[in-house]
Amino acid sequence: MSNSCHAFRRKSLVIALSLALPVVTSVSQAADADLQAQIDALQNQVTALSSEVQQAAEWKNPNTLMHMAGFADVKFIKPENGDGSFGIGSFSPIFHYQYRDIVMLESEIEFQVGEDGETKIEMGYMTIDWFVSDYVAIIAGKFLSPVGQFRQNIHPSWINKMVSAPPGFGHDGAAPISDMGVQLRGGFPVGGIRTNYSLYVSNGPELKSETEDEIDFEIDGVAADGFGADRDGDKTWGGRFGILPMSSLEIGVSFATGKAAVTVLEANDVSSPSSGLEPGTEFSGEALRSYDVTGADFVWFSGSMSLRGEYIKTEIGEASTGTTAGEGGVWEAVYTQLAYRLPDTKWEGVLRYGDFDAPGLNRDQTQTTVGINYLVTNNFIAKVTYEFNKGEVAGSMADNDRLLTQLAYGF
Amino acid sequence: MKNRVNKICRQALRFSSAGLVLLASSYSASSFAADYPEAGNFSDGSKVWAENCGRCHNIRGPKELRDDQWISTAYHMRIRAGLTGQETRDVITFLQASNTKTVAAGSTHVVAKLSKGVTGRETYEKTCIACHGAEGKGAFPGTPDFTDSGGALSKPDDVLINHITNGFQSPGSPMAMPPKGGNPNLTAKDITAVLKHIRKTFGK
Repeated sequence: MSNSCHAFRRKSLVIALSLALPVVTSVSQAADADLQAQIDALQNQVTALSSEVQQAAEWKNPNTLMHMAGFADVKFIKPENGDGSFGIGSFSPIFHYQYRDIVMLESEIEFQVGEDGETKIEMGYMTIDWFVSDYVAIIAGKFLSPVGQFRQNIHPSWINKMVSAPPGFGHDGAAPISDMGVQLRGGFPVGGIRTNYSLYVSNGPELKSETEDEIDFEIDGVAADGFGADRDGDKTWGGRFGILPMSSLEIGVSFATGKAAVTVLEANDVSSPSSGLEPGTEFSGEALRSYDVTGADFVWFSGSMSLRGEYIKTEIGEASTGTTAGEGGVWEAVYTQLAYRLPDTKWEGVLRYGDFDAPGLNRDQTQTTVGINYLVTNNFIAKVTYEFNKGEVAGSMADNDRLLTQLAYGF
Repeated sequence: MKNRVNKICRQALRFSSAGLVLLASSYSASSFAADYPEAGNFSDGSKVWAENCGRCHNIRGPKELRDDQWISTAYHMRIRAGLTGQETRDVITFLQASNTKTVAAGSTHVVAKLSKGVTGRETYEKTCIACHGAEGKGAFPGTPDFTDSGGALSKPDDVLINHITNGFQSPGSPMAMPPKGGNPNLTAKDITAVLKHIRKTFGK
């Protein structure tokens, strides 16, 4: 009885297993297929991700880099004796095209809107920078003048803590703006002290002359804006040497020397031309005059405070022959600026004093400027500046106080 | 007479210029960066960044640009600020390692050496000093003054450890401190040690 019962149970189990096996196999196959589908999907995702990662890595450090930086600003200026106007300071994109650490093309294009609504386009600078070694770079092309600090490094609106440039450091001032030529530039340590240098040879400046009676001519200005030809045939040499005795202090000295000649009669200075001399008349072959620039600058900063200053002097010699023969002239400018950022705030106060002397009294100016800045971000700044101007000639442009506001963005 | 003096001065200038070029070239012949991008030193780079950028303009935070953008920007600044090639490579290394929350595989070797059994003082000097300064008063505007009795150190340890670990932007500062000060290899032990050093050295 017992044996037959066991045999029945075994038969029943075998039959049950036989019946269940196809069902189990079917379920298992379905699960395997589902799992395989998931694996295939994951493999596809991994392949796609791998491809994306490879592409991303491919662009992480390419040999050739293209980059754009620059700055732009909008402003409102209200002179003491005139109506206020909105305006665009400039839109100045800077293009960088770099091949490894060997060469970089740099170019700043300046777009400005004039009072007449016309858009003016100017090449601020365009250089090919060849990084010859860790301590020397050869800069060739049109470059910002390395004489002094303001024109080459401080003038961009998001860097300059005031809306305006110090007197004598703008166009037609005492400080050269730019030049065309070749420059050696770099930095090197001397013991534990950092130094930097620049040395250049260039086409140099041209001179503007003015006259009231077409007999006596005076030098009206030194145009140092990077001329594309050396019309006076004499190259200008110059440079700057900077030293940092401590990390928070830089002291620099600058110079430039060469010859320059009058090439143009300043517009609107001949009231009744009688000998063919019109405003804007161009000259060639005028006598060469000596051109000498000396300068000194410093910057010191500590925590939230910075103090900087600069002195520049441009001397033009006399000429005894030629249509525009006459005496030379001296352009001299100096400024000092103190800035203080209130701790744990985005507010900054700025105080600047400047003095500019030039041939002809109309442009001589002493200026005290106060400014309040709000740093929305470190490269987006809202500025309010007030200039207290004291000109040698009362009522002249140089004697007019001004309120200036600006939004400046460096990108 | 004056013209003659000027002529002599200019000749002297030309000769000295040529001499400077030769001197500079020979001085640097063995240090030309043939490899690119050659890794610099993270710690030295943070010092270059803190000591040079603010001399002309407000400091720009590492997170403002991508790695490739920092390369071109640094070479542009090499020209403008008179940096050496080594300083340029160092500052690129610092900025590229500090502009992300996670460190790219290729850059871990650059910062790994900073976290090997360092003391709180060593961590401060290698990772924090660039922004917070040797005297703890902040190397440039926007960084807190540790010596201010009512300032950052008045906060409890757990808050400050959280700030150091995850990054923090001080009120009024346009730039945030990156997580772990930009050095992702700092351990919890390193962070505790550096906070202890900061409190002991600058706290009042």
